[in-house]
Amino acid sequence: MVVLRSTSDLAFRNWVLEQPEGETLLRCYQCGRCTSACPVAAIDNAFNPRLFLQKILLADESLAEEQLVWTCLTCEQCEVRCPEHVKIPHLLILAKVRGLAGGNTPQGALDRARAILASGRTIMVSESMLKTRDKMGLPDLGQPPIGQIASVLKEIGLAKKLEKVESVYGGGSNE
Amino acid sequence: MEVGAMSKAQTYTYFPGCMIPFRLPHFELAARAVLKKLNIELEANPGHSCCPEPTTFTGVDFEAWITLAARNVAVSETTGLETVALCSGCFHTLAVANHMIQEDEKLKGRINERLKTVGLKVTGDLAVKNILHVLHEDVGLERIKKEITHPLTGLKIAPHYGCHVVRPLEATHMDDAEQPTWMDDLIEVTGAEVAEFEDKMSCCGAPIMPSDEDKAFTLTAQRIEKIRASGADAIVVVCPTCYTQMEMQQTKATAKFDPEYSIPVLYLGELLAISMGMKDMVISNARRYHRVKVGPLLERIGGVA
Repeated sequence: MVVLRSTSDLAFRNWVLEQPEGETLLRCYQCGRCTSACPVAAIDNAFNPRLFLQKILLADESLAEEQLVWTCLTCEQCEVRCPEHVKIPHLLILAKVRGLAGGNTPQGALDRARAILASGRTIMVSESMLKTRDKMGLPDLGQPPIGQIASVLKEIGLAKKLEKVESVYGGGSNE
Repeated sequence: MEVGAMSKAQTYTYFPGCMIPFRLPHFELAARAVLKKLNIELEANPGHSCCPEPTTFTGVDFEAWITLAARNVAVSETTGLETVALCSGCFHTLAVANHMIQEDEKLKGRINERLKTVGLKVTGDLAVKNILHVLHEDVGLERIKKEITHPLTGLKIAPHYGCHVVRPLEATHMDDAEQPTWMDDLIEVTGAEVAEFEDKMSCCGAPIMPSDEDKAFTLTAQRIEKIRASGADAIVVVCPTCYTQMEMQQTKATAKFDPEYSIPVLYLGELLAISMGMKDMVISNARRYHRVKVGPLLERIGGVA
């Protein structure tokens, strides 16, 4: 049995509803087609998209504190089967975002985010790779404009948020 | 010289991303070679950055993700050309951001406030395409057929579409979310047979590698086992992340059901290149970028140079 934690305010739910496509949550009537379509649910009974949507509807933020939400593939098979076209993977993405401050983010995800802010890319580009591209006759792609990245993100303050965050759990590799 | 080769090439803005140009450059090489045969050029723009990738950065900070994605779309808009992203993750990010900007005026407004600081503006009017749009819709099967000099008769190919190139349909503008056929059609044009297999539109497993590697490979193993049951000779993909999961790390998946089993994985551009007589180019990169040997597969194709 799953005990749902209720919160005295509706902060989590209200925040979700304010986000782009967040209001699609309200179309969910708990039919469960999402869970029947989910390949992760098929191999892990604890992963239940219908229940995740119920938690968000009830403003239960525990979802944002569990590693489980990060095993959503974002494959969107649930969304295709949903009779109401609820943006299910997107709603789970919003739950992931809420978990950042508490460190409920895989180390690999933090590493990638930091790499994007620092270099404009998720991966390091070695000299030998540049030589390989040259040998293949592929063009020089230059350097991403990291100044612009910093500038457009200034108001959001992601760099500051990432300075403080530590992942509460390890995880797989970054590839 | 044929007339097509003399006319001016059609040019797309090429969105490179990270994985294809700097991890799997043989994807870019094959795509460019095939497109060149079809009189299409790809032009990179130094203003682009990481898309950012849609499987983890979204969950770190969605607002930052869509802002950076919109900046890339805005850079593409300045080129005045349609944009093609070869990577499914990049394509998904740009297409979804573009779609959300079209649908949500408030979102578009606040993103444009941020873009103003760097002298950019996003309208949402740009066509963001993937390689299947370009080949199947813009070029067309009849035109491609004319370049097939070495038909891949006798080969049975399993098309692995992956998720992010197809879904969500309202943003990707693909043919079908559950039963797409564009890649099937392109495989058939090469003369190969398309393998039918269970759960054709399933995920490769890669997106959850950073959070649960074992679960990820369980899904990859299931996928490859179902493809094996179809009797396919090879898998064809369009996405570099699917490729990394199903090719570069295939032994970690097959270890879960049959460590003796392996199946070659080709990028769609490589399959087309082989059928267009560019087998040598594919072979020259096979040792470095393919862990599963493709030699035996290519030897079976009669008459291929």
